[in-house]
Amino acid sequence: MALVDYKLLISEAFSEAQVKVIEKRADGVIYAEADPEFIRKAAKLFVHDNGCILLTLFACDERKEAGKFGIYYAFGDRKRGEVIVIKTAVETEFLSISRDVPAASLYEREIKDMFGVVPQGHPDGRRFVFHGNWPGGSFPLRKDFDRKHKPEFMKRPLYFQKVQGSGTYEIPVGPVHAGIIEPGHFRFSVAGEPIINLEAQLYFVHKGIEKLSEGMTFEKVFYISERISGDETFSNSLAYCQAVEKIAGVKVPKRAAFTRMVFAELERLICHFGDLSGICTDVAYGFAWSHFNLLRIWSYQLADELCGVRFLRSVNAVGGVRKDFLRGKNSIMNEYLDKIEAELKDIMHICRRNNLLRDRTEHTGILENKAAVDLNAVGPGGRASGVRCDARKAFAYEEYDSVAWDEIVLKDGDVASRMEVKARECFESIKIMRQAGVVLLNDELGRTGQASGLNDGCKEESNNAVRIEITQLPPDTWALGITESSRGENVHFVMTDSEGNISRYKVRTPSYCNWPALCIAVNGNIVPDFPLINKSFNLSYAGNDL
Amino acid sequence: MLINMFKKIAKFPRITNKYPFEPLDKSSFVGRPEIDAEACVFCGECARRCPSSAIVMDDVRRTIGINVDECIFCGLCQEVCQSGAAQMSHEIELAVKDRQELRVSPIVIEERDIIFEDYEVLCSQVENKIKKKLGRSLQIREVDAGSCNGCDYEINALNNPLNDVERLGIHFVASPRHADLLLITGTATRNMELALVKTYNAAPDPKLVVAVGACACSGGIFRDNYATRNGIDCIVPVDVYIPGCPPRPPAILYGILKALDRL
Repeated sequence: MALVDYKLLISEAFSEAQVKVIEKRADGVIYAEADPEFIRKAAKLFVHDNGCILLTLFACDERKEAGKFGIYYAFGDRKRGEVIVIKTAVETEFLSISRDVPAASLYEREIKDMFGVVPQGHPDGRRFVFHGNWPGGSFPLRKDFDRKHKPEFMKRPLYFQKVQGSGTYEIPVGPVHAGIIEPGHFRFSVAGEPIINLEAQLYFVHKGIEKLSEGMTFEKVFYISERISGDETFSNSLAYCQAVEKIAGVKVPKRAAFTRMVFAELERLICHFGDLSGICTDVAYGFAWSHFNLLRIWSYQLADELCGVRFLRSVNAVGGVRKDFLRGKNSIMNEYLDKIEAELKDIMHICRRNNLLRDRTEHTGILENKAAVDLNAVGPGGRASGVRCDARKAFAYEEYDSVAWDEIVLKDGDVASRMEVKARECFESIKIMRQAGVVLLNDELGRTGQASGLNDGCKEESNNAVRIEITQLPPDTWALGITESSRGENVHFVMTDSEGNISRYKVRTPSYCNWPALCIAVNGNIVPDFPLINKSFNLSYAGNDL
Repeated sequence: MLINMFKKIAKFPRITNKYPFEPLDKSSFVGRPEIDAEACVFCGECARRCPSSAIVMDDVRRTIGINVDECIFCGLCQEVCQSGAAQMSHEIELAVKDRQELRVSPIVIEERDIIFEDYEVLCSQVENKIKKKLGRSLQIREVDAGSCNGCDYEINALNNPLNDVERLGIHFVASPRHADLLLITGTATRNMELALVKTYNAAPDPKLVVAVGACACSGGIFRDNYATRNGIDCIVPVDVYIPGCPPRPPAILYGILKALDRL
């Protein structure tokens, strides 16, 4: 793999007038400030020529400081683990890169709704975040918008894509669904049974998390980050903590890093078992449903044993973990893991040989590799379509590079592949948890060897060994945190204001990337297969809507 | 292949717990926080740092307390407390019918825009009669009005083999038209308000409404924002409040049974 020096690449491709500042920041991120006119060229350079992905794209209201809106483009090179952030300063409009980078489309529409800065040349000018009840001319993420202000309710029409022709009709579904799930509206355009087009209207659970975080202390925002999406509590808070720790210039103790890995993988187990049981429900395979549920129950019980909280809330903390949760718990954890692993093996063996399950899941809801790459599909949804997108490998954090495990990548892209990816990832998670458990146990017993890298202070029974206290953040700086949740790559951007409080918190969850991919994957499938395909992605509405 | 299935079924014949007929072992649970006013030194640290501003302190009159409907059960008060007055208890059965019981400071509910009072009067008249009739069976419709999906997963868990609420005659139904009870999670976001009202109106009278989680009870950590309301009781009348973030499945079951007066 040839090393690409992105700093050199940028300075070669652009003249000094086009790109003003190029620097490699302390956290390894390459940062450049570009003239807005050249952003399309830059996007093509990174995405088309060098195989980067668009990690996130967002705006900041910097009119008070600089008189302009800052638009930040974060690109990631997964092969080399590099992150490049390009900033442009614009006034009321900016050049759209959606025609070159399709994954940018939703981000740009979001900026238009939240900031009133218009993407020029965007193929889709419709509203995205707001529904018909929101008046025009109100932009909540502008700094002069009071967060407690509730604009009047309006009635404006919303436009869906129309499919016309004899025999075609629409099926509107939601926002309140038949199952116990979150709200979202789906508009199916159908001819007979096959779906021609699906459009998802989301943002029913838009709570204004990004606005809410502005001006808060970093400690309070931590609790908000835990509540972005309930079942991804730990990985979301971990991404936030990483960003804040980078801002503070703190490296967490190794004991905390391994503890975090155990909890992050436990969360993945809980979620994946839920997804697997959900897929089985949707094909009416009751036996497998109850057994995957049993595994989920055991995982929850393990969480209870370790920390007393089912959703792993308040386990993480900025600077480490709240307590030394795993001290003396290694044997309990292994007991549960043995039990879970043995049962999972047996049930997957039974499932793989069930013809009914295979009949429903194979060749259903295929997400082509090309679409997955273009839309930047992440997580099991992307990996089932042949995309190597595991942030634990690409942007290795905590101690993931010091344990042995494999990234599971399949290429068929159907429901069966996604199910298989999730099942195999469970085994990998168990592997990671066991290895982390051994390191933590050796550390407790004071053994050398594998654990020799751990700091010495943690032999005593003290929380200092698992947490570095951070009291104040440096002003006017920013950082990115990237983690892999059960659904895929989480990218959190945190920026501080002049007092060290949070001035901008931009969250991009995996669901945000995968919703468009899901809408593509259902095309050509019959309507009754939609719940199954939906469940195989199992996207979070709350994580998308924020 | 089938034999493997039967083996598994024989291996795990029944795992459902006995709650609510037998109490749970709650020793490992993180429950409601409590502040011992005797031990408190009124430093104000917990009140200042509480992420959902649920702690109310008056250092002149030397009173301190927690609005449990707003609490997100994070345990930060216990962590920052110098005197050890703030402690997380193991208590999870917290559902109440009157929200004021959860609070130390007086409640202010925004006025409802939609008037349901006729229905409410009608409701209370036939409620007792219906409870006797429905006493043994209950149809629930769940509505997510803007949660983080934590509460929804816990409600889902009520149906798993461990909790299995169907054994108590409680069923989750697909439509509000079939429901006796609405189980509502989330703060009531701007975009869900209309859907919530429509769902409420679609459920036949008399009906019960249960608010699940800190968000539905008071808005929780998402209070006072442009896109949220402070709890669902400013939109629809609520019969039982279940605090927690999220409340555990047995705590939700406790609240449902409380709404039915079956406890």
